[in-house]
Amino acid sequence: MRTTIKYLMIALLVTTFSSCEKAINLKLSDTTPQYVIEGVLTNQAGGCKVTLSQTKNFTDNNDVIGIDGAQVSISDDNNVYPLTPAGSGVYQNTTLTGAYAHIYKLTVIVAGKTFTSTCAMQAQVALDSIYLVKSSFGNNADGTVRKYVTVKYHDPIATKNYYRFVQYVNDRKEESILLDDDEFTNGQEVNTQLNFSNNNDNPARDIRPGNKVTIEMQCIDPAVYKYFFSLNSSANGDGNNAAPSNPVSNVQGGALGYFSVHTVQRKTLTAP
Amino acid sequence: MKNNYPACSPMLIAQFMYFPAALRTALCALLLLTVSFQVKAQSPLDKPVTISIHNQPLKQALDQLTAASGVRFTYNETVAKSKITISVNAQNQPLGEVLKKALAPYPFSYTVLDQDIMIKYDTEKPKKQAAALAGGGKYTISGTVKSKQTGETVIGATIRATDVNQGTSSNEYGFYSLTLPAGDHQLAVSAVGQKSTLVPISLNSNQQLAIAMDNNEQSIQEVTITAKAPGTRDLANPQMGVEHLSIQETKNIPVLLGERDIIKTIQLLPGIKTAGEGSGGFYVRGGAADQNLILLDEAPVYNASHMLGFFSTFNSDAIKNISIYKGDMPAQYGGRLSSVLDIKMNDGNNQKFGVSGGVGLIAARINVEGPIQKNKSSFLISARRTYADAFLAFSKDTIAKKSQLYFYDINAKANYILGDKDRLYISGYFGKDVLKASDIAGINWGNTTATLRWNHIFNSQLFSNTSLIYSNYDYKINIKQDVNEFNIYSQIRDLNFKEDLQYYAGDKNTISFGVNAIYHTIKPGEISSTGNSGILSQNLQNRYALENAAYATNTWKATDRFSLTYGLRVSAFTILGEGDYYNLDADGNIISTQHYTSGQAVKTYVNPEPRIAAAYSLNDFSSVKASYARNAQNLHLISNSNSGSPTDKWAASTNLIKPELADQVSVGYYRDLKDHQYEFTVETYYKKMQNQVDYRNGANVFTNQPIETQLLYGIGRAYGAEFLLKKKTGRLTGWISYTLSKTERKIDGINNNQWYNARQDRTHDIAIVAMYKASEKWTFSANFIYYTGDAVTYPSGKYQVDGATYYYYTNRNADRIPAYNRLDLGATRQLKKSAKFESDLTFSLYNAYGSHNAYRIYFRDNKNDPSRTEAVRTTLFTFVPSISYNFKF
Repeated sequence: MRTTIKYLMIALLVTTFSSCEKAINLKLSDTTPQYVIEGVLTNQAGGCKVTLSQTKNFTDNNDVIGIDGAQVSISDDNNVYPLTPAGSGVYQNTTLTGAYAHIYKLTVIVAGKTFTSTCAMQAQVALDSIYLVKSSFGNNADGTVRKYVTVKYHDPIATKNYYRFVQYVNDRKEESILLDDDEFTNGQEVNTQLNFSNNNDNPARDIRPGNKVTIEMQCIDPAVYKYFFSLNSSANGDGNNAAPSNPVSNVQGGALGYFSVHTVQRKTLTAP
Repeated sequence: MKNNYPACSPMLIAQFMYFPAALRTALCALLLLTVSFQVKAQSPLDKPVTISIHNQPLKQALDQLTAASGVRFTYNETVAKSKITISVNAQNQPLGEVLKKALAPYPFSYTVLDQDIMIKYDTEKPKKQAAALAGGGKYTISGTVKSKQTGETVIGATIRATDVNQGTSSNEYGFYSLTLPAGDHQLAVSAVGQKSTLVPISLNSNQQLAIAMDNNEQSIQEVTITAKAPGTRDLANPQMGVEHLSIQETKNIPVLLGERDIIKTIQLLPGIKTAGEGSGGFYVRGGAADQNLILLDEAPVYNASHMLGFFSTFNSDAIKNISIYKGDMPAQYGGRLSSVLDIKMNDGNNQKFGVSGGVGLIAARINVEGPIQKNKSSFLISARRTYADAFLAFSKDTIAKKSQLYFYDINAKANYILGDKDRLYISGYFGKDVLKASDIAGINWGNTTATLRWNHIFNSQLFSNTSLIYSNYDYKINIKQDVNEFNIYSQIRDLNFKEDLQYYAGDKNTISFGVNAIYHTIKPGEISSTGNSGILSQNLQNRYALENAAYATNTWKATDRFSLTYGLRVSAFTILGEGDYYNLDADGNIISTQHYTSGQAVKTYVNPEPRIAAAYSLNDFSSVKASYARNAQNLHLISNSNSGSPTDKWAASTNLIKPELADQVSVGYYRDLKDHQYEFTVETYYKKMQNQVDYRNGANVFTNQPIETQLLYGIGRAYGAEFLLKKKTGRLTGWISYTLSKTERKIDGINNNQWYNARQDRTHDIAIVAMYKASEKWTFSANFIYYTGDAVTYPSGKYQVDGATYYYYTNRNADRIPAYNRLDLGATRQLKKSAKFESDLTFSLYNAYGSHNAYRIYFRDNKNDPSRTEAVRTTLFTFVPSISYNFKF
């Protein structure tokens, strides 16, 4: 609902006042590169992956330059599980899976710096079903009907729950951050529409007849929810909103990024 | 010198020879006089005349006296060209007496010159008169200043006794009180948009005098004695940081889409900055948009913008006068840190019925007013409705086609004069915005205010106003999505009692004092939902608070040159139950909760707010002033949007949100140039702010958690210099304003606890406003605006998370949006002008050279080359022409 309100305001403003957009040259300051950590541990085999990279200047291209040569490990109360480098800044442990209620600690040591983070595996909430709903806000850029996926699940009443959804259209991962929590829906059967924003009008992002659409549902830790929530708020540095800032990270030691231990379930449909 | 000679003529002559020479001359003169007396019988001054002259210029009056008496007058050019008017009513009275009375209030004296009388300009005369009268005691003259044509009270009219250099101005209800030495005086009365007038008075007891002024839109023929243009800044008054505008002064300034807008107009003055295009907010001296108290007939207006900020809620047709105080507000005002914008509505014409209105590109207006009982009571109804959404029907977009987007507002007022001493006013405002995207979603919001006021004049020196005020702001959001429907409702409501008294204690002191009590009810939001979304309908707890204040202030004219205003306002803000209040840890998590029952006091914040100001007149045309003021603010607008969204949250102080405080020191220099045709002012200020509120990084705006969990607190500072050169008379009028300023914040938890630029920090801000009356038919106008771009945070780098680009930020608000600049042009063509009917056409061109000013700048992957990122600028308005037709009958 939050994102709905935001999109509503923007949509109304844009349709009402014919504004004009233009790419401009701005002189932006550069900084020394910062480390970026993306640590993921899931309840499925092969789901343990840590990516280490660095920030780039705004004028550089978007390719990730992975940082190799780091010591990466994940530990729980009993064991330390080392991750082995797979190249391009990716570190993996193919056998490690997260167990419910366990608290995991990520340690990354690179160039004399140590970054750590802890995260707990949440209980899995079952993804009941997914279905497509025609958008009421408008059409795709080419005029075809815009469709969104709605996810259906039953939120447990006893716990606070945080969810993240990842959408794949024909195996292409949607960039929009899709989050939900149970602040207003505790203990209810929930149908949440996943309103993604195709902000660069890329046709491959739209859901079109015949497309295979997969939704991955993740039950995430509150700190990870906060990370993605704040990452999303500052996503495009929109100077019209409050001053953007770096997201609230759960990584200690001064790196950007996050460490998320979460459950994973997937459902797929084919768009009619 | 003894002698024994018998008294005879030769002896007498002989003795005479011994007299001292001087005495001799005197005796000679006496002798001569006696002789001539006998011969001619009388001097020209004794000539009896019977004549009646009413308000004739001096020269014509003298000509008429010559015709009636046969006595000729001689005078120089100063006398011949004098614009003073005199009245004479004599039945067979000696000419000398007639002249003495007629010229008494003026600096002219007369002497006999042979058979003629010479009239000459005599600057010493008023002083001599004043000295002569000093022993005669003092009396007070008081009353109301009104417009002759409409019966509207005139605010801020200057009333000056020309002979003794004492004056006052009418208050916001047109009341004035002036204490003068007993005797004859001449009152010079001037006000913006009114013909200046001279009123002779003879004061030997306290006296009531209603002053009626002639409307004069062309204004400008000035009585030489008053010299100052009406509406000129009061150089001797200690009040600083204030701008008064009458609606007539602003009506030719070009505006967006031709809708005259008082809030946009004040943003052209120094120290008052726009919050940007498409925003209804404004910033005063580095303060935030919510630190401005906006009063409409004394009722606070919480959201002063229509259509997401493109238009202000104030319909210019219904407004008489506005004053904005930039932080140095008099003690009668309180509750906001940065400014008070005090807007007074017209009362309604109590002389004749009239209708005026206009039709523009996006809105139509109508204003109806007239007497209920002539001279006693009147009403006014003013309404406005936009029809911008009519254009949406032409849109190709099906959603836009079925959308609604309009606002309307209604101002209504009635007043009743109950006698010499009492007057009642009732006024109200109702406005609503509707924004609806087809059947999918909608927001509507609006303000309602109502004010009941009672003016009572206890005596010639004590004026009272009692107000009962109701104010309400609410918004409702409705969203339909698939099978779901959501409604969100939020409200802030005030009940307000105010008692203000003004005591004109003699010719040296004016004392104001009063009390104010406001009961606030804030409904932070209630959510209701139907459908399958799982969202549970819920009510957030209402917040209740009682805001009390008492104040007293005195303006003391210590000497002719030095005046001092000193006062104290004490505010007490009490947070009342029922409700839950919280204690939080450093991260904003709730540690404990305390429940308070209905009416139970949670916490009271008492803040003494001293206000002091002094003015020293260097001479007749320049002065220096200095002032200090403290203000406290207990209502905070929690907003993360700079464009002023209708859904911004008002929150009262709580146990955790402390009252915001501001201390401002300012110093200014004021000078009138070229015989008061121009005024030049420089004001500098330094302001320190405490308990400033901001959102935490990553705050969640839509939450049913207590708002404090999302907030951080800190301090602020702002300083600057403001320059204004204004021309108020002649064919060409307007002003140049320039502000050089800095405003910063330091908030624990933001920007590594270092000082950073507030978003509204703009180094340079220039506005040039010019209006030129080319002929009776055409008036042209132009504005030019330039300011440094807002302080914003741009990325210092970028990185990828989960396959998408995100940006890395370092120092908050260390970057700038490109500088803003714009030229607007306007022209008004008078079509018809008669006593019965007037009409005109107004043309305007907003952003005449199509400057591409940034409304927002954002960053994204390049559409054509997703491996690159780009900065994108959104521009709202380039070349917006408009035309509107206005009429009045």
